Amino acid sequence: MIRKYVDVICLNDKGGNTRPLCLIWDEVRKIPITSIKEICPRSSLKAGGSGMRYTCVFSSRLVRHLFYDRGKWYVEMHDHVI
Amino acid sequence: MKRTILHCDLNCFFASVEMLYNPELRKVPMAVAGDPKFRHGIILAKNVPAKRKGVKTAETINEALQKCPELIIRRPDYPSYQYFSDRVRSLYEEYTDKVEPFGIDECWLDITESIRYFGSAEKIVKDLLYRVRNEIGLTLSIGQSFNKVYAKLGSDLAAENCGKKISSLAEIRDLPADRLLGVGYSTYERLKSYNIFTIGDLAEKPLDFLHGILGKNGETLYCYANGMDLSEVEDTSSSSIPKSISNSMTPSRDLYDMDDVRLVLTILSDSVAARLVEQGMYFSCVHLYVRNSRLQIRSMQTSLRENSDLAGDIFQCAVRLFEENCDFSMPYRSLGVAVSRLSFAKQISQTDLFGNEIYSLKRKKEEKALEEIRRRFGYKAAMTLRILEDQELSGMGPDDDCFFPDENFRR
Ligand SMILES: [Mg+2]
Repeated sequence: MIRKYVDVICLNDKGGNTRPLCLIWDEVRKIPITSIKEICPRSSLKAGGSGMRYTCVFSSRLVRHLFYDRGKWYVEMHDHVI
Repeated sequence: MKRTILHCDLNCFFASVEMLYNPELRKVPMAVAGDPKFRHGIILAKNVPAKRKGVKTAETINEALQKCPELIIRRPDYPSYQYFSDRVRSLYEEYTDKVEPFGIDECWLDITESIRYFGSAEKIVKDLLYRVRNEIGLTLSIGQSFNKVYAKLGSDLAAENCGKKISSLAEIRDLPADRLLGVGYSTYERLKSYNIFTIGDLAEKPLDFLHGILGKNGETLYCYANGMDLSEVEDTSSSSIPKSISNSMTPSRDLYDMDDVRLVLTILSDSVAARLVEQGMYFSCVHLYVRNSRLQIRSMQTSLRENSDLAGDIFQCAVRLFEENCDFSMPYRSLGVAVSRLSFAKQISQTDLFGNEIYSLKRKKEEKALEEIRRRFGYKAAMTLRILEDQELSGMGPDDDCFFPDENFRR
């Protein structure tokens, strides 16, 4: 597994919270985040790294972890997918 | 009342942070080492596979490569280590407000008052181990005891990701005396010449005897060995008033003579005084830490009769401490300067016979003018000749960015 760093569109609300809204996967694919199930500090055992882990439900009903680590967002991915 | 104190020590911290971001490094021998180009080419931390191959902290990269040619060497990433150190510390602060850091990867926690909120000390230890591993991705060793010294010994004895409780002297009496905090190489040699080999041997000796051979340090070690260390876990949370202000520096080359040392001490004294003035505080005690090219560390201190906030006073004390206590049988790699016994009030000085007060007022004016120039035009606008003369050694002016707190300075 590796970390794939991604561009993310976020909402910074009045209360100072940051919520990721949409993941920009590449030039073509923008994947909206429908809801967030859990936010907690976690390390990524599989891909390495450590930060705030957002458990996101995507429009395709897919559930994936999105990590926020010192200003950058990443997802865990199998090496062979890329 | 019997206290409950934990000593939490992150396992091979620098190496663990590197492995956290590069999991493939977990299985191969890997070490974090300074840049050989800048003569910092020594091993700062290594992982377990490297340790099995005999790689040791503080040896040179070349020595390590001879034992383990396949060793992977990473450059240190200090901002990252500081970030993780801070994160772990704020996790500790969820359990108690008495958290005292010791270096970048160790902390004492006084959890005496916390036990009634969390159930038991064992529960807190289990929680900390689990959460630091799960939430941050690092592992700890935790020592638990009724004083700081035994707690530290406990974390030394504990395995990775485990806790170890020390309840009495009986459990540790057969350990070599140099496992005890405060017993360095030379002290241990000294003790051995008096047939003191274990912590038990040390604890049994009469106080007067230890005082006789080691002076004040002998008294301290007597207390440490017997579990009579009463020192508090200092609450150093960000909101509290600083107990000391310090800065240390590892220049790009080693220091070979008094000119080198004076230059580094000038920079350090300036930067400590600048932070002191920022806080509006005065000091009356100056500490000097020196570390030679073999990473052996010494610390010394001296007191002032009257408190001060002048860089010149810090510098003079530091130079005097160095001249009285150190020689150049081995070059020095780093120096550190600290001031303590801080207060917000200037002691009213008694005008003495030699007019020192007028002298000090004059110097004060000088320093204030210098400070003002630097505030407006930057540190480089006004520098002492010594700093300009040796740009290689001095690097840049004091600035938190280029003076990373040196993890190897230990009291
Ligand atoms: Mg450690």
